[in-house]
Amino acid sequence: MSTSALATAHAPRREDAPRREAPRRPLRVVEAPARRRRPRLLYGIVAVLGAVAIGAAQMSLSILTTQSSYELSSLTSQQRDLTYQKQILYDEVAGLASPQYLAANAAALGMVIDESPTYLRLSDSAVLGTSAMSFGRSSVDAIGRGTVPNALIADTPLVTHPDATIQGAPVETVEESGTGGIVNTPPPITDGLPTPSTH
Amino acid sequence: MTTKSTRSPRRRTVVALAVVLAVLAGFVVRLVDIQVVNAREHVAQSIATALGSSVPLYGTRGAIIDETGQVLAGSVLRYDCQLDPLLITQIDQDIAAEKSRAEPWQEVSADIAAITGQPVEDVHEIVADALAENANSRYALLIRGMSTQQYRELADIGAPYLRCFQHPARSYPDGAVAGNLVGFMGTDAVPLEGLELTEDSCLEATNGTLDYQQGNDGVVIPGTAREVPPENGGTLQLTINRDLQWYLQQLIGEQAQNMGAVSGAILVAEVGTGKIRAAAEWPTVDPNDVAATDPDDRGSRIFRSQFEPGSTFKALTAATVIDAGGQTPTSTVIASSQETFANGARVRDAFAHPAYVYTLAGVLIDSSNAGISRFSETVDAQTRHDYFQRFGIGAGSAVGFQGEASGQLHPVAQWDNQTVYNTSYGQGLTTTMPELASAYAAIANDGVRVPLSIVESCTTADGTVVTPELPKSTRVVSESTSAQMRAILENVAIQANYSRAIEIPGYRIAVKTGTGEKSNGTGGYKAGAYYTTMIGFAPAEDPEYVVVVTMDEPSKVASSAANATAFQKAMTQVLKTYRVMPSTTAPEELPKFG
Repeated sequence: MSTSALATAHAPRREDAPRREAPRRPLRVVEAPARRRRPRLLYGIVAVLGAVAIGAAQMSLSILTTQSSYELSSLTSQQRDLTYQKQILYDEVAGLASPQYLAANAAALGMVIDESPTYLRLSDSAVLGTSAMSFGRSSVDAIGRGTVPNALIADTPLVTHPDATIQGAPVETVEESGTGGIVNTPPPITDGLPTPSTH
Repeated sequence: MTTKSTRSPRRRTVVALAVVLAVLAGFVVRLVDIQVVNAREHVAQSIATALGSSVPLYGTRGAIIDETGQVLAGSVLRYDCQLDPLLITQIDQDIAAEKSRAEPWQEVSADIAAITGQPVEDVHEIVADALAENANSRYALLIRGMSTQQYRELADIGAPYLRCFQHPARSYPDGAVAGNLVGFMGTDAVPLEGLELTEDSCLEATNGTLDYQQGNDGVVIPGTAREVPPENGGTLQLTINRDLQWYLQQLIGEQAQNMGAVSGAILVAEVGTGKIRAAAEWPTVDPNDVAATDPDDRGSRIFRSQFEPGSTFKALTAATVIDAGGQTPTSTVIASSQETFANGARVRDAFAHPAYVYTLAGVLIDSSNAGISRFSETVDAQTRHDYFQRFGIGAGSAVGFQGEASGQLHPVAQWDNQTVYNTSYGQGLTTTMPELASAYAAIANDGVRVPLSIVESCTTADGTVVTPELPKSTRVVSESTSAQMRAILENVAIQANYSRAIEIPGYRIAVKTGTGEKSNGTGGYKAGAYYTTMIGFAPAEDPEYVVVVTMDEPSKVASSAANATAFQKAMTQVLKTYRVMPSTTAPEELPKFG
């Protein structure tokens, strides 16, 4: 409702004003109003169905939301478990990639850190450097007198020498995981390196 | 004409409309008030009074990685576990009254102790102590720093009075490798030492929160979760090479013990860039187990200690007299093992000899104090002081390590007659290992001093790479002086009495030793105790790396020869690590005597 509506309501009245002095017309019976048409049943059905459909849609959406919130909850807890597993695995391998561990393992195999390097230049096959080797003498003693401690692997036995640690000391027995304690022992390799079986 | 009958329905409509509009406006105002103006308070209120929960979301503290990307410091999760002593007693009472079928504390505590690794008595004592202090105690700290595995096992016990809270912690996969530089954190995740402390602004993570409401079954009510995401810390990359650092730490540990030294250190810097590739020292803290290290050994002596350098400063004096005094490596002076100077100062050599006609090269080869003192007279004391300053002596290094020391270079006005000569061979002043390495790198680097650095970059969580700003490189001596000094120092390596011990087959190297005396704390020198240094660079014809080896009070060999083996092995490993090709040219031998 606005001014335009009011304006249209007033407009004819002003036109009528001069006619007021005109002689009155004789009265006459108004025609009977047209019988109101019966509302069609279809509209009603559509409206009811629409309401029912909306209600159903809302309910199903709500059910789906609740459903997925349970699903979400279970996935979250699954994710949490996997995160725990990841952390446990990370803790187990922590320190195994450290230079101390690698060097001590190599030294336990009898490998040595050689003195001066020798290079082979591919372009003219020239041998650069001394080309001499020092057999059996390592420039540092990585296992006999390790001077770079690492608390993460202090009691971890070497892969190449399961009776020794990076300090060369005998392994302290660590309690198995069943009864508690941290186990960071790499699994023993009995049949060589694991290989995939192919047909 | 509008009659009363025609006017009143219209007015009614207008009035009704106005009322409807007014009510609507009222609702709108209230809606805006609730949803916008006071929204935050209402949300907070609803979370506080309803079933709201809030959990902290921890950001991950940034890793510290080496030159090649190997992790030196990473983040893990640890768990602090606590007990509820009151609940324990209540459950035990219920069990006694046969109201509960739970396992008694005696049995559960044994399981707990087996997992945490504590003696059972200690676990009992923790609870007993808490109850003794307050019979209604609901909190007793069981143990800190449980691993995830232990935490899961504790959780599997399912005791209602045992709760664990996770918190981020630090793990140092390589143990003591670079522990002196990386530093460590306290148990409450506060950085305490080293780069963890000084680079905290790069590494630090910002924690976020997750607020939500949950139903009775613990499921989050849909649409109530509000997450403030945490921000991870940046990754700090160092110029250090992890494998080289390990080798040198292992080496200096063995060598310092062999020589009966109190401590030892090796510093490696790249000549052209000033990047520190290794800063190894013994003893070094293992940041995984700080308590195992003596409190005095938990920092970095390389950066925090200053020492009287001794003869290594002869090279700086030689460079000064070549650059400003018109001398050459073959210029000569006459010097016997004991010289008295015009101002009354007396200078003695470490070994007795008659009056030799020494070349400048010969003075450095024999490390003659008297000879370098004679040469120092070709320039005035102020010039020598200024050259020391240009070499960076007394200014610390650009590294800016936490608590870094700088050498003490007194102004010339404070030099007495003896100090004027003593300073030419490194007495009456002090320096630090980084200062010395930087000065020798300048000699090796065509006379240009490049500031040392230890931090390569900081990569923030969004991938922005921030590189630290360093001072500009400065020219100290001319290119020609640098070339002459390289020739002299190479001749020291091939003609000095320890030349066999430092030989690296296939490579040309340059070297100088120094035996500094130690203060006894009362103004004099400590008898028989020295701070020995060996510094050098390789390859001599095109220097790439400077290596400094120091030992504090070696007792088996109380001279700089103590450092020879460590230096030779360290330099060999540096050349190997960086695949420096063997030399293809032969050195030019300079005459010792004129």
